[in-house]
Amino acid sequence: MERTTIDLLQGTLGVLILKALSWGPKHGYGIARWIEETAGDELPIEEGSLYPALHRLQARGLVTSAWTTSETNRRVKTYTLTEEGRAQLKAELSRWQAFSQSITRVLSARRP
Amino acid sequence: MAFRQFFRSDIAADVDEELASHLEMRERDLVAEGIPAEQAREIARKRFGNVAVIGRACREIDEGIYRREKRTSMWRDLRQDLAYGVRVLGRARGFTVVAVITLALGIGGSAAIFSVIEAALLRPLPYPNPEQLVEIMVESKSRSGRMARLAPSVDDVRAWREHRDLFSHVTIWRTIFDPIVVDGPELERLRGRQVSEDYLALHGVSPLFGRGFIEEDMREGAEPVIMLGYAYWQDRFGRDPNVIGRTLRIDNVPAMIVGVLPPSFSRDVPIWRPHKVPPRTPQSVRGSGATVYARLQPGVTLANAQRILAERTRASDLATGIHPADGIAVESLYERATFGYRNTTDILAAAVGAILLIACINVAGLLLARGATRRAELGIRASLGAGRLRLVRQLLAESLVLALAGGVAGALLAWVSLDLLVANIPLSLPENSPPALNVRVLGFTLMLAIATGLAFGLAPALSLSRVDLSGTLARANQRFGSSLSRRGGQLLIAAEVALCLVLLAGAGLMIRSFTRMMSVDVGFDPDSILTMEVIPVDASAPVLTQYYPALVESLRTLPGVAAAGAINNMPLQGGSTLTAARADGADWMSLHTREFIPGYFEAIGLRLVDGRLPSPAEMTAAMPAVIINAEAARQMFGEQSAVGRRFERNRKGFFHVVGVIGDVRHSGPTRPPDPELYLPFGRDDADAMVVVIRPSGTTGNLHWQLRRAAESVGPRVVVQRIRTGSDWLDDRVLTPRRRTVLLTLLGALGLVLSMVGVFGMTAYTVARRTQEVGVRMALGARAGQVVRDIVRESLWPALWGIAAGIGGAAFATQVIASFLFETRPIEPVTFAMVAVLVALAAAVAAWLPARRAARVDPVSALRVTT
Repeated sequence: MERTTIDLLQGTLGVLILKALSWGPKHGYGIARWIEETAGDELPIEEGSLYPALHRLQARGLVTSAWTTSETNRRVKTYTLTEEGRAQLKAELSRWQAFSQSITRVLSARRP
Repeated sequence: MAFRQFFRSDIAADVDEELASHLEMRERDLVAEGIPAEQAREIARKRFGNVAVIGRACREIDEGIYRREKRTSMWRDLRQDLAYGVRVLGRARGFTVVAVITLALGIGGSAAIFSVIEAALLRPLPYPNPEQLVEIMVESKSRSGRMARLAPSVDDVRAWREHRDLFSHVTIWRTIFDPIVVDGPELERLRGRQVSEDYLALHGVSPLFGRGFIEEDMREGAEPVIMLGYAYWQDRFGRDPNVIGRTLRIDNVPAMIVGVLPPSFSRDVPIWRPHKVPPRTPQSVRGSGATVYARLQPGVTLANAQRILAERTRASDLATGIHPADGIAVESLYERATFGYRNTTDILAAAVGAILLIACINVAGLLLARGATRRAELGIRASLGAGRLRLVRQLLAESLVLALAGGVAGALLAWVSLDLLVANIPLSLPENSPPALNVRVLGFTLMLAIATGLAFGLAPALSLSRVDLSGTLARANQRFGSSLSRRGGQLLIAAEVALCLVLLAGAGLMIRSFTRMMSVDVGFDPDSILTMEVIPVDASAPVLTQYYPALVESLRTLPGVAAAGAINNMPLQGGSTLTAARADGADWMSLHTREFIPGYFEAIGLRLVDGRLPSPAEMTAAMPAVIINAEAARQMFGEQSAVGRRFERNRKGFFHVVGVIGDVRHSGPTRPPDPELYLPFGRDDADAMVVVIRPSGTTGNLHWQLRRAAESVGPRVVVQRIRTGSDWLDDRVLTPRRRTVLLTLLGALGLVLSMVGVFGMTAYTVARRTQEVGVRMALGARAGQVVRDIVRESLWPALWGIAAGIGGAAFATQVIASFLFETRPIEPVTFAMVAVLVALAAAVAAWLPARRAARVDPVSALRVTT
């Protein structure tokens, strides 16, 4: 994978993570799997780049982390969305919708 | 809360484990999909990316979180701890009040007294580089081989000014002893100072207004100019800045005011005149009474200046052909200014140190006692998960709150009490720089208090670590403090009582000495006389010889005046005129001469011991008839009667003794009587007189009548200081009085602090033993017996402290031996009285809180512990 692609996706990755956590706490691998399954394909990025993004979200206070035990009885670091994180996700979503709508409008424009 | 799990050492392990768990789970899922294990691992790694790079990125982010978190949590914890400390102290109100009072007295008292000591000792010369200021004197060997010090001549000063390698300034000045008459806003007789032009520059001072003197002002025939001292300018001219250029008549010569001096510079010298010296007058030779100050160049030592100046002066003396100087004395003004007080200030500093120590001991004792009762609370908090570090920090915060509260109260007290101290201080403080509250000293005592608070506040937290938690918890209900802290508390009581006793012993000796001083018979009863100083402005001697007897005569006719007279040197005033006299066939000796107006002996209450008073005619005879005092009679004529004998005065002929009068302690109660010769007024050269009145009744409006009589009878006079004989006596005993007052204050402060200490410790004993008392009461113990037991627990260490204190006082009081009048530094009666006082105080301080034990209700006391 090209480095530029990672950079490009860095901001988007944050929103994807917040979205992944919006239905409840998940560990890093769980987030990766959820995005994979939802997108219907392998992630077009290195899975590892999820982690710096996660830690950065934590530094911004959008998620918190705690060590828990997984269903397979393994110690895993689980992330939970904070109130700020939820608000952030909502803001990002409406921004994305406004953005994609206007792009869609432009792209689907007919010849006048 | 989640952030709290971050510890710097865990960050790397955390990240590693997190990433590893991802790889593992991916690998497992791949294997579940049917991919062989080894291939699965490879695929997982490939899909993940560079583990090392990603791990480093995560660690860096986490470390940032950690640092930020640590900062904010520190502040939050501190705020929390302080708030908790305030709450805890608010609940333990008795403890807090006692501790804050202790700290306030200790910090405030010591800071105020230290500020005074600093003013007296550490900055007596408020000029730049005061250590460079010196006085120079010429040494001359007399024929008997004794080295005498002479005032340098004006020529010396001129020559020395050329030695730029030694001195940056050399100045000559003298006090104008004969009061000068100033026809200013009011007619006054004032003292002044004559200074040469560089006097201000040498001190590094410039005038507040106008200019200082210049070289031209010193010339003979120059237009007379003066500078005003700050206090005079303030009092007489209401700080009028337009005073420059105005003229004042001084001794009937108009002089122009050219400058006003700043308040920080010799403010009490009203009039400053140029030091004019006519050429070839007695003043131009050595030994004329002028003073020479110089400022050493930087780097020049006193010894070097003295050696080099001596060589050069001797060489130039030989060259000019005057009697050569045998040496030069250069003395540091700074050393001299501090020398006289060092003894007193050292003693006061030691006393203040003792106060500070008592205050610290008090705080230590209180915290120790309180700590003992808090072990249960701390044990519970520790078992609930509070780390030891957290507990320590909590206790530190509590001590800090306490120390700060005490510090604020202390600063306020220091501020308030400084004025009080200054008015009662035994040192003649430098007029130039009144003591100001020293912030550094306040800071120092505050730090000491905080350090004490922290050290002893920590004791319970530290001792907690030595006890296993379950044990502490099991004994949580038990109020018996550890024997260690009880012993510690008793030791502290003993120590502070001992210190307090030493202070009080010193104070007691000073009081005793002062009482003895005040009960000395000075020869007359100061309470029964009234005096008035009458100073002629410009009258000649013949006018005055008419005026004073007429004035006294007119005063005698006033209603309310039983007797009146006058004398030139008022007893207790201190000043004396000496004359050389000898009886036939005896050696020359010094007699103190007094000139009086008849009626003086009756007025002041001196009685004839022998002989009679001479008649006016006898007093002016060729061989005048005179009166001497008993001391003079004894010194001149021994045991035989002096009446009818004669003696010779140097160059004044023979005198005939007709009466011997009682002795007066002219220089104050501690000085033996001088041998005195009473001459009629006009015989020698007295001009100003002190009129002495013996009122027959109340002195209500006598003051006004006296003044009016003096001003209306004859020539122009200045009337000042109408006062009682006791006022004169007070002047004489001012220093011992102030010294006594100050040490007594310190002693009282020590006693109060010690009582507070004993009170606090006993109160905690009661709190600690409530359960035990309850049990005993339930078993039928009498309340009185219980109270006695508790008092005894505090009183025993106090008694040990008293014993130790007496031992310490026996040594310590030696240092005040030189201040004591007819009092030995070890006086059993005083020591015993002080010991009894301290014991009683300790008993009261212990009994007050102990009473509460008697009111313990056995049932509720037992219920508390279930």
